[in-house]
Amino acid sequence: MSHTLSAPQERKGLVRNFNRSTLTWILFLLPALFVYLTFMAGPLFDSLRLSLYTGEGYNPTKYVGFQNYINLFTNPLWREKFINAFTNTCIFFAIHMLVQNTLGLLFANLLSNDFKGRNFFRTIIFAPATLSVLVVGFLWTLILNPQWGAVNKIFMAMHLKQFALPWLGRENLALLVISLTSVWQWVGMPTVMFLAGLMGISDELLEAARIDGASEWDIFWRIKFPLLKPVIGVVTILTFVDNFNAFDVIYAMAGAKGEPAYSTDLLATLFYRTGIAGEHPVGIPDMGMGAAIATMTFAILMTGVLSWLYFSRKQATE
Amino acid sequence: MYKKLFAMLSILALASLILASCGTPATEGPAATEAPAATEAPAATEAPAATEAAPAAEEVTLTLGSWRVDDVAAWEVINAAFHEAYPNITVKFDPTNPPDYNATLRTQLETGTGPDLFFVRSFATGRELFDAGYIASLGDLPGIAESFTEASRSPWATETGEPYAVPIIAVSHGIYYNKDIFAANGIEIPATWEDLMAAAQTLSDAGVIPFANGTKDAWDINEVVMMQFIPSNVGGFDGRMAYLNGDRCFNSEEMVASFQQIKDMQPYLPNGFEAVSYYDAEQLFAQGQAAMMLDGSWSIGAFEKDATDFQWGVFAAPPLAGKDQYIEFHIDAAIGANAASQNLEAAKTFLQWLETKDFAQLLGDNLPGFFPLTNEVPTLSDPIGADFMAFNSAATGVDIRFVWEKLLAAPSGSVDAYTSLNNNVIAVLKDEKTPQEAADAFNADVSAWYEPSAGCKP
Repeated sequence: MSHTLSAPQERKGLVRNFNRSTLTWILFLLPALFVYLTFMAGPLFDSLRLSLYTGEGYNPTKYVGFQNYINLFTNPLWREKFINAFTNTCIFFAIHMLVQNTLGLLFANLLSNDFKGRNFFRTIIFAPATLSVLVVGFLWTLILNPQWGAVNKIFMAMHLKQFALPWLGRENLALLVISLTSVWQWVGMPTVMFLAGLMGISDELLEAARIDGASEWDIFWRIKFPLLKPVIGVVTILTFVDNFNAFDVIYAMAGAKGEPAYSTDLLATLFYRTGIAGEHPVGIPDMGMGAAIATMTFAILMTGVLSWLYFSRKQATE
Repeated sequence: MYKKLFAMLSILALASLILASCGTPATEGPAATEAPAATEAPAATEAPAATEAAPAAEEVTLTLGSWRVDDVAAWEVINAAFHEAYPNITVKFDPTNPPDYNATLRTQLETGTGPDLFFVRSFATGRELFDAGYIASLGDLPGIAESFTEASRSPWATETGEPYAVPIIAVSHGIYYNKDIFAANGIEIPATWEDLMAAAQTLSDAGVIPFANGTKDAWDINEVVMMQFIPSNVGGFDGRMAYLNGDRCFNSEEMVASFQQIKDMQPYLPNGFEAVSYYDAEQLFAQGQAAMMLDGSWSIGAFEKDATDFQWGVFAAPPLAGKDQYIEFHIDAAIGANAASQNLEAAKTFLQWLETKDFAQLLGDNLPGFFPLTNEVPTLSDPIGADFMAFNSAATGVDIRFVWEKLLAAPSGSVDAYTSLNNNVIAVLKDEKTPQEAADAFNADVSAWYEPSAGCKP
């Protein structure tokens, strides 16, 4: 007869039924959950809501349904801006994948060997990643300056005047040059991750392969590379997320407008101009449209990450 | 398991990264911008609340918001002089970085933390704040109509002439030139565009960069170069009105001529001008590597500091032969009062003081290159500043920047005149468009939405 039990006994029973470990688990989660909901999930959903509103300034109050999205894809100017930014972001990502991650793999492979000065090289490869993006952007802008930059001075000294170009002023060059600057800064990240992956490969495997007479080339492609696949997946997805959110390096080297002539405009700079800063010289933002662009970026990232998750899980179960 | 966890984490992280930035600006904004004010002068932002219940004669502190971060010292002098005249009112200058100014001010006003007084941008940007009720009407401010011309007041007044800000500053534009280089090459100040081009050729042959200007930052080629050429070509204010009324199309021969001047300049710009920024250009001139730079009067201070190795001066961009000289004299800033300020009366006292000759003299002396707009023009102590002012009296007329009035307010999804002009000027410099094609593209962009020009649609 439960009603005759004393209060402490009753509570004890409840706790036991609930499963003590689950309760503790939830208690420990609560502070983090609170922070997450207030500062991440809350703004996220608020932003989704905001994309359905319009109005000038910072408190769009007029509900317009999906009109911002309809405008983004049917108005020729908005569509052109969005597609341009999307294409540029894809190119930015492709250059990072091709150059940064390939170099990272190469450096990791070299650094996994024992040789003199290994720590020195590991340090200088990683060093730029510890600098501020704005500092790196500013330094490279100076190095690439057409009048007094070191790059063009070197070309002039070598009598290669045709290579002394306005690197950041040509539409067909600027995005490539800025991407390579970013690659220069961040190449240490995939290097470190690949290196950790290579260190995790058992020496016995490599030794067995060598005894069987496999060349270094074969060892790389047939043993190291397949075993690195999970790390490659992680590096790819990290590069994808970082690049589709990239803003700072463009802002530092080409300004918020993605100069010259929007050729370096990424999704994030387009979002910033539309939703936060407004276009010079008026500077009145359209927050609803900005939120719509942010939501589209979110959708692109979500699709990318979820499909990676799906394929990697499928691969794991096979 | 690791992968799954990682994927979850990355989804959450990326979601917060992109979306957090635009989710709650109304709450984030003021906190961020208030922080410096709170550390510098805790009293400044809280003053209105504190004095609310106090008697009127009590000390009042007003904050003055501005985008002129470089002018703190000058405004401290000006505000000290005001405090001397009105000992119970203290004005605290509290500027914000220019690119963030509009956004920050808007956030402050919407959350009720705006400054008591603030710099108001001309035309559409300022008007929008007035229409939203954030700026107090100055219809009852004594003396405003008598102290300023209608042309000076109209950028901050409604169609019925109701003013909402007191105009304080105009900027002029011209060509800074290196007197030593000009003398060494036997060049006189050119009277016509053709003379200027001949001089540029002489300099180029002598191995000097004729013009320091570049296009990396985009805005300067538009505001200090192209819009300096347009007034002389179209015929100043009256000519501009012909475009605004729809009597002239934006690809008229006058506009093509302006684009042609841009094209004429192209061979005389620095190597790699596409990647030369505004700051680079000023350095090229200040280091004596370039003979001339088209720039605004606001740079007087920078050149007086940096260009000390040679003699330099200014002249107005000469018109094409046979055209009259008009000056790009841009009415740039006004000060308005926060409609929600607890100290509106004190704020209006300050605004009224801005109409006096005392203020005009202080402004002219402390901020060389920024010209007071009062009807009674004081004598300027800075010689280059005085030279800029002399352009106005020597010219047939003056006018503001071509696209500022009405042409900036493009509806969402169309190209405003500023952006279109900027893109087309750069396209001409990069040989992507001929002057005629650029003018046609400019006309197509603007007439697509600017109703008086509907008849100009291609």
